[in-house]
Amino acid sequence: MSALQSAASSRAEAIQVSRIVDYLGLFILFMVLTGSYHIHAMLTMGDWDFWVDWKDRRLWVTVVPIVLITFPAAVQVLLWERLRLPWGATVCVLGLLFGEWINRYFNFWGWTYFPITLCFPSQIVPGAILLDVVLLLSGSYLLTAIVGGMAWGLIFYPGNWPVIAPYHVPVEYNGTLMSVADILGYNYVRTGTPEYIRMVEKGTLRTFGKDVAPVSAFFSAFMSILIYFLWHFVGRWFSTVRFLKAT
Amino acid sequence: MKVLKDRTALWSFVGLLLAFAATSFYAPSASAHGEKSQAAFMRMRTIHWFDLHWSKEKVAVNENVEISGKFHVFEGWPESVREPNVAFLNIGIPGPVFIRKESYIGGQLVPRSVRLEIGKTYEFRVVLKARRPGDWHVHTMMNVEGGGPIIGPGKWITIEGGHFADFKNPVTSLTGQTFDLETYQESNIAFWHVFWAVFGVAWILYWVRRPVFLPRYLLAEAGRADELVSATDRKVGIAFAAGTILIVVLSMGAANSKYPITIPLQAGTMRGMVPIEEKKSTVAVKVEDATYRVPGRAMRMKLTITNNGTSAVRLGEFYTASVRFLDSSVFKDTTGYPEDLLAEDGLTLSDNSPLAPGETRTVEVTASDAAWEVYRLSDIIYDPDSRFAGLLFFFDANGNRIISQVDAPLIPSFI
Repeated sequence: MSALQSAASSRAEAIQVSRIVDYLGLFILFMVLTGSYHIHAMLTMGDWDFWVDWKDRRLWVTVVPIVLITFPAAVQVLLWERLRLPWGATVCVLGLLFGEWINRYFNFWGWTYFPITLCFPSQIVPGAILLDVVLLLSGSYLLTAIVGGMAWGLIFYPGNWPVIAPYHVPVEYNGTLMSVADILGYNYVRTGTPEYIRMVEKGTLRTFGKDVAPVSAFFSAFMSILIYFLWHFVGRWFSTVRFLKAT
Repeated sequence: MKVLKDRTALWSFVGLLLAFAATSFYAPSASAHGEKSQAAFMRMRTIHWFDLHWSKEKVAVNENVEISGKFHVFEGWPESVREPNVAFLNIGIPGPVFIRKESYIGGQLVPRSVRLEIGKTYEFRVVLKARRPGDWHVHTMMNVEGGGPIIGPGKWITIEGGHFADFKNPVTSLTGQTFDLETYQESNIAFWHVFWAVFGVAWILYWVRRPVFLPRYLLAEAGRADELVSATDRKVGIAFAAGTILIVVLSMGAANSKYPITIPLQAGTMRGMVPIEEKKSTVAVKVEDATYRVPGRAMRMKLTITNNGTSAVRLGEFYTASVRFLDSSVFKDTTGYPEDLLAEDGLTLSDNSPLAPGETRTVEVTASDAAWEVYRLSDIIYDPDSRFAGLLFFFDANGNRIISQVDAPLIPSFI
């Protein structure tokens, strides 16, 4: 009698054990992703996601999708290759948002009293759904990278616009034109974050006039395709079942 | 196995107790900003803050307090600190306990970074609005790109009266709406984040209502992975994708309708800050030598002073790194300057009789106070650029002030 056979004495018990493994596995997967993806996000996109006055039309749009497509690409490989499950990207971003909200609420607001209106996270679920569905329908990492990666980058800005738009309303502030987001960043003092390290609206996309967000989004989408490729290999590396087979 | 479990439980309990003890019995809050740990030469030779005035020491929530004064961008700016071509007038407070309503340099609102010129003196003013009750150490501060924060004097300000929850920060947009920035759009943020979270969870729940790991893994390993995805699954996937695109398009359109006028974030360095028109100092000062006597916590300077003005003057104050050494027989501070930074009788001269117009005199000046140690200015002898610097304030009989500056090597004395 093998070890596996001895774990359950009936079919009903085997199903029960299987579901317990599912729940435990899902919990562990979610929490591991919450922690690891969150650290990755903070180290790479950092202030662009922390503060509303960093969420601009150029660099925020460009940087955030590129650095965030990493974990979804890797986890998609693990879940699709080994389990044929197409929700790797979605579980990643839900974990990330869960971690970010804990951080923003308890640390930024609860500890240091920055208002939530200044420090809420970016919205990334729409891109993740599209990435997952493209993998489900195509079953191809190549198509997922090209079509899904493109969709991931392109939908980021419009997906956030319903939340961001009110922050771009103009205000005359003591004789100076500022957006609401600018005033928030100016009012709520960040002693360790002087204004000059705020990397917004830098670049030379002048020929596009005011419509630079779509250009930035296309560039971001293109880079997301490349990063998806790279991180899909990381996913292959991490989703080895060599040890399971050895057991 | 039981022994292992018992030991794990025991040490976990001990760890928990230690963590509780370490955080419960002594967990002081940080109240200062590390100003004393900043290299002494940097504090002495970059920005000199003077004529500071704090409008109030106690305010209620929603009340304003104003900090004003001047700062001089020192000529002997150290090479190791990048020049202040990009600088930001900041305020050193422990988080947004106040909000910064306004800040001005030379009368110009400076919500963004500015270019400062070495050798110039600027007027500044910062208006803060009290937000969170408590005692807060409030510093003037200039951030310099490539140089870091250059912190000025700090004063305790108490916010009492009113509650944090009563704080309001109203702003009126150019489109005519007035709103409170403290809670601006919070319900909108919550709605969209909850909505998309539910949407994402629904997508995952659709899949995890069926077995997730073991059966699927075994089937995939058996080469039957394609059986795990049905035509219905694909249709549901298409529905989720279509729904996502539809919701994004519609919500973006709705946002554009609701906020038809929007502008990009405002950025870019502001130039052309107007300095104070300064007359050339009529008192010339040459530092013959300067020593810092470590055991006595005193700095001695041998100065040759020439009065090129039209009235007799006396030295009343030596200012360096926010510490003020006064000769109280010449000048007394009445501004409520922070006590720990004020040595009211810390300045002595070998001869401080009035220096007549045209007269030159060599005097020994001693600036002594515990502040040398408390503010770690004596650490200048361990800095890579051991020069001291500061401002000398001379006064005539009518109280007119003449400012000169000193910048010279400092030799430590250990006996």
